[in-house]
Amino acid sequence: MPPARRQPVRQAQNSNGPLDPDVIAKRTKRHLDELERSNYSEPTGSGAHAGASGEPDEEDEGVAPGGRTTKGRARQATISDKRQWDGKKPRKSTMNIRTAILYKKNLSVLLDESGIEQMPPGVPTYLRAVAPPAREPPRLICSVCGYWGKYKCRRCAMPYCDMNCEGVHNETRCERRVI
Amino acid sequence: MPATTSTIILDNGASTIKAGVLGVHNEQPQVITNAVVRAKGDNATYIGHEVAKCRDFTSLRYRLPFEKGLLVDWDAQKAIWDGLFSNEALAVNTAESSLLITEPYFNLPNVQDIYDQFVFEEYEFRSYFRCTPASLIPYGHLLAKPNLPAPECMLVIDSGFSFTHVVPILGGTVVWEAVKRMDVGGKLLTNHLKETVSYRQWNMMEETHIMNEVKETCCFVSEDFSKDLETCRCVSQTLNPIVQEYIFPDYSANRPGRIRTPGESLGESYQTLTMNNERFTVPEILFRLDQAGLSATVAASIALLPEDLQGMFWANIGLIGGNTAMPGFRNRLMSELRSLAPIDCEVAVYASDEPILEAYRSAVAFAARPEFPQSVVTREEYQEMGSSACRRKFRDWKPVEKEGARGREPAKGKGARGRAEEDDESPPPATKKSARGRGRGRGVAKRQS
Repeated sequence: MPPARRQPVRQAQNSNGPLDPDVIAKRTKRHLDELERSNYSEPTGSGAHAGASGEPDEEDEGVAPGGRTTKGRARQATISDKRQWDGKKPRKSTMNIRTAILYKKNLSVLLDESGIEQMPPGVPTYLRAVAPPAREPPRLICSVCGYWGKYKCRRCAMPYCDMNCEGVHNETRCERRVI
Repeated sequence: MPATTSTIILDNGASTIKAGVLGVHNEQPQVITNAVVRAKGDNATYIGHEVAKCRDFTSLRYRLPFEKGLLVDWDAQKAIWDGLFSNEALAVNTAESSLLITEPYFNLPNVQDIYDQFVFEEYEFRSYFRCTPASLIPYGHLLAKPNLPAPECMLVIDSGFSFTHVVPILGGTVVWEAVKRMDVGGKLLTNHLKETVSYRQWNMMEETHIMNEVKETCCFVSEDFSKDLETCRCVSQTLNPIVQEYIFPDYSANRPGRIRTPGESLGESYQTLTMNNERFTVPEILFRLDQAGLSATVAASIALLPEDLQGMFWANIGLIGGNTAMPGFRNRLMSELRSLAPIDCEVAVYASDEPILEAYRSAVAFAARPEFPQSVVTREEYQEMGSSACRRKFRDWKPVEKEGARGREPAKGKGARGRAEEDDESPPPATKKSARGRGRGRGVAKRQS
């Protein structure tokens, strides 16, 4: 197999050997979470960057299009108040409604407050309905061209299919270590 | 009184809202984007139904009321609903109407309370009914066979924008213990395609809308993944029937995106995107993932059902939700399920011609039934008891486990649903909740105790 032909020098660069499956699982999970983001525009890349570019983007989702001009957390600028529609009489909303509109809670807060975690075991909930883990090992697909990925990058364990794609991968995408 | 009021049906999806008035929009609801969108071209903000007026879809920024399948941004949602009920869209007087609205599977109890508050306190509907999309399917035509009532056992696969759910329904009631969710939906697929294409060809990371259209036009579910993957290696078009060129839209020239017909010559102003194995490796995520793929999830769900009925579920599988519209979806699922099901079981998968509208049309059928007026919670009941009135009456998933676990016959051919039975159940929640008064307090915070 081609990887065997490599010089042993690389061992010096990466003393830790192949990546831990846990690390890979974590990376896959993080990637899937990224793909869930609304205006996903930039992969956060390796762990070092995740904090830097991932967080502001989360905030971004709260940006009211046309609402906010500054980066401040001013929540007063609600879009639902700004627009008046034909045929809808303006009315004063109740406390409950104002609370729901003004204090947006993100998903983890809502999950916390819902108390579904404390429900007795056996009661099906949002958290417990997740499908079981796969029985088959994940399919290895070349991350560059999409063909079968027979080989894995020694630094980041992403699959690739041939020397050509390996070169592209090393130049562009190789993440080196991921924590 | 209910006879004179109009009934509004609102299938409130995370990507699109399917809405209409019973009797007016029975077949074709208004389908509007459930998002507040800012366009870069004219720097304008489009709310919900206004997105249809948008002309330049480059670099749209989305603000979605839903996050991971749950409604979290009520400001955005209110803006969209306000617009929807106004004269610009449905033109209805909510205070004189009844509402049937769909909610996510396993909606959080504290979020359910906010639904109730919006319906009765903000829009002041006369009465309302809240349930999940799949629970309406028994009333529709998806699994109905000519001259036969809807099957007792069915399994609905709802593959939508946020998630894919496998929902078994027994005697018209969702078996919540066996409902399974895969964290893959249309949003993830579009973002994945966006990322793949951006890495391989053009940077499309800002172009969610365009890539979603590419996905809807080009993507399909492979029925033989290895073979198709080999086919895509062939360079020549004659040997590779899969490769396509997608011509990007040009909004300044008012030209929508489309697939290039082979051999067609294009002017210089046209930009194209080559779609080769991206066409099927992206939807493939639904079938192979770190989580169990769709077929394995279906098998896992059926395994949790009563053993003597399992065969019936294998034979009555229905598909709803936008992803199931992808070509090849049904056949691939069918062949995978066939190999997972016991040999003596019949396996049948029913696909809808318009899977996005299926839940809406089933909702229309349900709302037209004579027992519908008895299933709803009225404004008076809410004013008296707050959200507990809704928890008491709605039959889908809810926090009070004693009720949720109990199988309840939703009046399949039973005429009026047994009111007596309902009243029997009421004392525990009623006494428990009476301390909360009218649900005016911070319902959200109080649920904890």
